[in-house]
Amino acid sequence: MSILYVLIPLALLLLGGAVWAFFWAVGSGQFDDLDTPAVRIIMDDDEKPADGSES
Amino acid sequence: MTAGAETCFHCALPVPADCNLIVDIEGQQQPVCCPGCKAVAELIRDSGMSRYYALREAPDPGVGRPPEEAAEWLVFDSDDMLGAFAETSDGISEATVYAGGMYCSACSWLIETTLGKLAGVVSAEVNPVTHRLLVRWQQHALRFSDVLETLADLGYQPQPLAPENTTRPELVEQRAALKRLLVASLGMMQVMMFAVGLYAGDFQGIDAEMKRFLRLVSFLVTTPVVFYAARPFFKSAWRGVRTRKPGMDLPVSIAVGSAYAASVYATFTNGPAVWFDSVTMFVFFLTLGRFLEMRARHRSIDRTVALSSLLPNTATRVSGDATFVVPVSQLQAGDRVLVRAGDGIPADGVIVHGRTSVDEALLTGEARPQTKVIGDAVAAGSVNVDGLIELRVTSTGSDTTLGTISRLSERARYARPAYVTVADRVASYIVVALLVVAALVAGYWYFAAPERAFVITLSVLVVTCPCALALATPAAFAAAGSRLSQLKLLVTNGNAIESLSRATRVIFDKTGTLTLGTPAITSVLVYDPQFTEHDCRRIAAALESASSHPLAHAFALDEELPIVSNQHVEVGRGVSGRIDGASWRLGSAEFAGGGVSDGDGSATQVFLCRDRAPVAWFEIEDELRPKAKETIDALHAMGIRTALVSGDRQSSVEDVANKLGIDEYHAHCTPQDKLEVIQAAQHVGERVVMVGDGINDAPVLAGADTSIAPSHGAMLAQTSADVIMLGDSLQPLTTALCMSGRTMRIVRQNLAWAIVYNALALPLAAAGFVPPWLAAIGMSASSLIVVLNALRLGKFE
Repeated sequence: MSILYVLIPLALLLLGGAVWAFFWAVGSGQFDDLDTPAVRIIMDDDEKPADGSES
Repeated sequence: MTAGAETCFHCALPVPADCNLIVDIEGQQQPVCCPGCKAVAELIRDSGMSRYYALREAPDPGVGRPPEEAAEWLVFDSDDMLGAFAETSDGISEATVYAGGMYCSACSWLIETTLGKLAGVVSAEVNPVTHRLLVRWQQHALRFSDVLETLADLGYQPQPLAPENTTRPELVEQRAALKRLLVASLGMMQVMMFAVGLYAGDFQGIDAEMKRFLRLVSFLVTTPVVFYAARPFFKSAWRGVRTRKPGMDLPVSIAVGSAYAASVYATFTNGPAVWFDSVTMFVFFLTLGRFLEMRARHRSIDRTVALSSLLPNTATRVSGDATFVVPVSQLQAGDRVLVRAGDGIPADGVIVHGRTSVDEALLTGEARPQTKVIGDAVAAGSVNVDGLIELRVTSTGSDTTLGTISRLSERARYARPAYVTVADRVASYIVVALLVVAALVAGYWYFAAPERAFVITLSVLVVTCPCALALATPAAFAAAGSRLSQLKLLVTNGNAIESLSRATRVIFDKTGTLTLGTPAITSVLVYDPQFTEHDCRRIAAALESASSHPLAHAFALDEELPIVSNQHVEVGRGVSGRIDGASWRLGSAEFAGGGVSDGDGSATQVFLCRDRAPVAWFEIEDELRPKAKETIDALHAMGIRTALVSGDRQSSVEDVANKLGIDEYHAHCTPQDKLEVIQAAQHVGERVVMVGDGINDAPVLAGADTSIAPSHGAMLAQTSADVIMLGDSLQPLTTALCMSGRTMRIVRQNLAWAIVYNALALPLAAAGFVPPWLAAIGMSASSLIVVLNALRLGKFE
């Protein structure tokens, strides 16, 4: 059980890293839009124009 | 004027029977309602974005409106304008544009992809929540006006925003709330994990040293949760204490603070128990509740929509003999501004030249244009209907009448829904009670059986965790809110669901509520046997073709019209002209010079006269909203009484009420009269739902127990209404009433379950029958049941 004395502090360090990364992401605006990313994956950007007009 | 059974593929409005426009989308022939929709649909198809139609959540009321004049955008290419609206470095310009008319994520995709294909655009990002487009482009390859024009061609109403307008308080608030939520949730998960170790240790035995260590790390993780994530609660509680108006955050703060302090003390003195898990979980659920509530609040119509989309982008400023087109944001008090017929009025001002009628429906709810002459004041946001006028600007931007009203509405929007307040208050009292009960139980067992006192106290603390109680209401309301928005209802006030569920009477305000606000000819009487009804309609259509008055749309015909010479529009009275050598006049009885008026002088009676002799008489009325009759019948079937209060004349109110079978009606009502009708109903114990759309309804809406506004009403009424119906149909009204009843049932079930659970579990735990592990399972299971029960609302049809 003494391994916990190493693993738990390590987990806390990782936790700190995760929190820092999240704060950075929020601060840089990556979470400003919470709705579009969920549906963006199903939208194709490369669909061909229907009648061959240049895009 | 019968509407066809088909609806427009693009905008979902009914396709007129005489309209045969077709668009070919992915091999399917789709009907559209007007050349505008056809053009937009073809543009979308030709850009290879037909997918838009599959992905959009609902037909967008904004897309498909006639694009503004292209020349208007050229103003934004001047260096001054670019300096004001864009930032340029290394030849790349960056600007934020508000895209009015956006509704769903498909819109943002459409904009991003279309702009992405423009040569010279470096990147385009749209936030569908804030309706903002951040676009970067190469300055030498593309003009800013091209970007704006592309947006306008797609049917949106672009409006460049100056940099200082771009960081909005909502966004700042959301970012801070997200960070707090993350700290609280990660903290809670970690502390729970350590807590499992501690509870298992209590049950199976644990090293004293390991126990101290686990408590210490719990303390380390809980500290930021209390001091960072829970800070708003402490701050608000302290503000309450200082102003001697303690709010519900005070008991929350006491509970969190005292449990935290006691746990810290126990950690460093090897006390019997720590409550770090309860503290973090409590903070997490409160933070989550606040976050969901904040999102709901932000989703309601945003401030910029209310203010800026009603104003034109540019104004024509007059200085000396020259005129300049300038962005509205550059107008100052004292400027002279020219407003053409059909344009929006950009600022509050006084007419110094010309005479016109002004449509103030957005501000006053009055559907009929008001005649304005030199010296009269006009307000920003109203529309100049039919004359050329010159204004002296008196105030601009947020100082205008419109700005003031939307500021007031915004303040109201920040009020917190009562269910969150109640949930907070109940949960915090319960936490305090829980600590007291736990202390009493500990005291009792300390004397009765000291060796069991500790474990039993622990069980009591865990098993009575108020999670289920705290979640019961917010979970149900959140589930109902998101389901309602899928069903085209936007709940902007958390109290609305509760008060809707108790509604006993629905009161309508006729204008634009039961009707669509688009006038149509309902009956025609031909006096002169020389002419058929169709002849009269054609002549009327030809005469009205010069007028932009809203009533003129009722006459529009899609066919070859007789040629009119000497066409003349008399502002606010009628039109005249010569056809085949005869002089024709169309308008009020007095203007047309003949005919028998029915006495009430209403503008919805229109006469057609030939050489001063009456030829025909038209009655023009608003079309009823789709499903209006069905909705009223459904309401009656639910035992809800209906009433119609309207400022309109007796005959038209009576007509609508009879057509729909409404229980009672009042005509000629002022806003004050409407309020009195509501108060009279409330006085006899009725719960009143007011359905209205104009800003003159705002006090009336506020007086009702719940207010519902159709989305096509004035934007400002939307911000003060509790619920907004999206789309034209009235059917969401019955949905809202059914859903609210269902939601309150779920809430009651949840509360009953949570109370029964706690009432059963507490004595059992206090009596020592529940070991800590069972307590932990019981607590999580009770919360889970509450959440799952609430989620059933998501399946409501």
